[in-house]
Amino acid sequence: MTFENGREILIRVRGLAKSFGSHQIWDGMSLDVYRGEILAIVGGSGQGKSVLMRVITGLIQPDAGYVELFGKDAKTLSDKERLDIETRWGILFQDGALFSSLTVLQNIQVPMREHLDLPQAMMDDLAFLKLAMVGLPPVAAHKYPSELSGGMRKRAGLARALALDPEIVFLDEPTAGLDPIGASDFDQLIKKLQQTLGLTVYMVTHDLDTIFTVCDRVAVLADKRIVRTGSPSELQQHPNHPWIEEYFCGARARAAMPSAAKAQAGMRSLMV
Amino acid sequence: MLKRDHQLVLPTQARAPGFRVELRGTTFRLIATGAWTVAEATRLDQALKRLRVPIPPTPDFTGEMDIAGIAEIDTAGAWLLQRTAAAWEASGLRTHYAGATEGFRILIEEVRRRGNTERPQVEQIGAARQLVDDTTRVLTGVWRDAVQLTSFLGEVVAGMGRLIRQPWRFRTTSFVHHLDHAGLRAVPIVALICLLIGAVVMQQGVVQLRPFGAEPFAVNMVAILALREVGILLTAIMVAGRSGSAFTAEIGSMKMREEIDAMRTLGIDPMDTLVLPRVLALVVALPLLTFIGDVMGLVGGGIMAFGVLGLDASTYLDKLHEAIDFQHFMAGMIKAPFAAIIIALVGCMEGMKVEGSAESLGTHVTSAVVKSIFLVIVLDAIFAMFLSGIGV
Repeated sequence: MTFENGREILIRVRGLAKSFGSHQIWDGMSLDVYRGEILAIVGGSGQGKSVLMRVITGLIQPDAGYVELFGKDAKTLSDKERLDIETRWGILFQDGALFSSLTVLQNIQVPMREHLDLPQAMMDDLAFLKLAMVGLPPVAAHKYPSELSGGMRKRAGLARALALDPEIVFLDEPTAGLDPIGASDFDQLIKKLQQTLGLTVYMVTHDLDTIFTVCDRVAVLADKRIVRTGSPSELQQHPNHPWIEEYFCGARARAAMPSAAKAQAGMRSLMV
Repeated sequence: MLKRDHQLVLPTQARAPGFRVELRGTTFRLIATGAWTVAEATRLDQALKRLRVPIPPTPDFTGEMDIAGIAEIDTAGAWLLQRTAAAWEASGLRTHYAGATEGFRILIEEVRRRGNTERPQVEQIGAARQLVDDTTRVLTGVWRDAVQLTSFLGEVVAGMGRLIRQPWRFRTTSFVHHLDHAGLRAVPIVALICLLIGAVVMQQGVVQLRPFGAEPFAVNMVAILALREVGILLTAIMVAGRSGSAFTAEIGSMKMREEIDAMRTLGIDPMDTLVLPRVLALVVALPLLTFIGDVMGLVGGGIMAFGVLGLDASTYLDKLHEAIDFQHFMAGMIKAPFAAIIIALVGCMEGMKVEGSAESLGTHVTSAVVKSIFLVIVLDAIFAMFLSGIGV
């Protein structure tokens, strides 16, 4: 385990570089993910937010750089260590990525079946429990993914990501495509699950509401690296970067920020 | 998983979950230790199932789940604890938790609240009932398929009619693309297969006819067989496997990703853009491929005739002239456009029937290939009867 400032670092990324063809997306990018935090990765389109998630989870190989997962170098992992790490994280892909030929209940049980040897009755009980925890009604259990709405598919995908009680969950645009009420429910769900299960949450998002309501820390991807990290209000008050300024102080950000911060920002603009 | 705060847990200690039950005063205590996590859940589950639920002698006995010794817990562990606590409650012990940190308490409370939801009943169907149901479905499916295919044929014919009145609706690019994929790119495989089968039939024919001294007639047999049956059948089966399945997969995956719905809402008729170009391309391509198949079958026979009968090329051609005429060639060729329509129709129709899942796509691709090969062979049999009826 790696510690820094008394906090445990679950994932450490150093000097990452990746290019697709002649287009270089990062050069020397570094990032730390601490245990127990909700971290949001933001950045403009094409900055490689989703690619970073895929590099960390090993779906894409970087051109250069170093990824450390739970204190171990991702490159030198043996197959067994790799498997062990895969049981310690859960991933929610953008549209849920549920297996279309399995019911929701079977989808949730896939990781349990693959990695553990649990009795069927217990897998059923645990799957129904996870289903209830992500806020899906029990009748959804025997439905197929194609019979669910987009929001329900996301919840079912989250239930599958949580099947093995992971230490960290990766969420790719968790609130994209949800209506504002559904998105706000999902925010609260993430917050609640994080508190209940002691999760670390790594999310790629565009949603300013999500960032202001649930995130502890924001990492901003711009200019081929992480240009800044900090709490949402910190970044808003001291942007120090044109993209951050535009993102956190634009019209949509002012609408999304909590009222206390709004008053403060209002004062600041008065003083300026 | 949740870890007990600010407590250093040695790995061995953390990995060894356990519990014991003791009676202190009027309190049954379950003292749990170690890591109650999903990785250890099977062992814990078995041990807890063996544990007998204490029966309180008097109503003032209580139960206590002492979890001060638990180093790590997750939902599986919390669920196991909660199941035990619920069983104790049911036997009349008022049970509470002791030694929980704030995090543990929230998790256990959440599991207690979410754990006892009503579950939907799954309808259990007996094996005999299943067999009857499946048989009924398969048998009625044959009729339903026939109706669907006929109505789809009707739609395609109506689409063609529209195309004749409004020729600018014809998708030339798409037509040429499918002509290339289903026609030109199938030439090597069709040619090779027909060449080999022609050679094999010639060799076997000579071997079988030799005892009767009739081996020169093997040439007649190969020539008639290649032109009337083998050329068209082999080509159609190859094309059904190659292009029929591709049609189903292409249209099916478009259906899965709602592309076809998008087309309809944009005022684009999938019949015009997807089905008609494929049907027409195959109607043009299959006769051409059949011609290549016929020629290659005769060439294969010729090579083998040189090998086993010692016939040179000019003698072989002379013998062919004697054996066959234009009628035989046409008897095979006339079937090609009909086979093409069947293959393209079945392929496109099965594609349109694909639903949301990947499994459904696989099922429909399989059934497209099986149905089109079956129907091509039925078609061939019908033509054989018809042609012999009119004396060709």
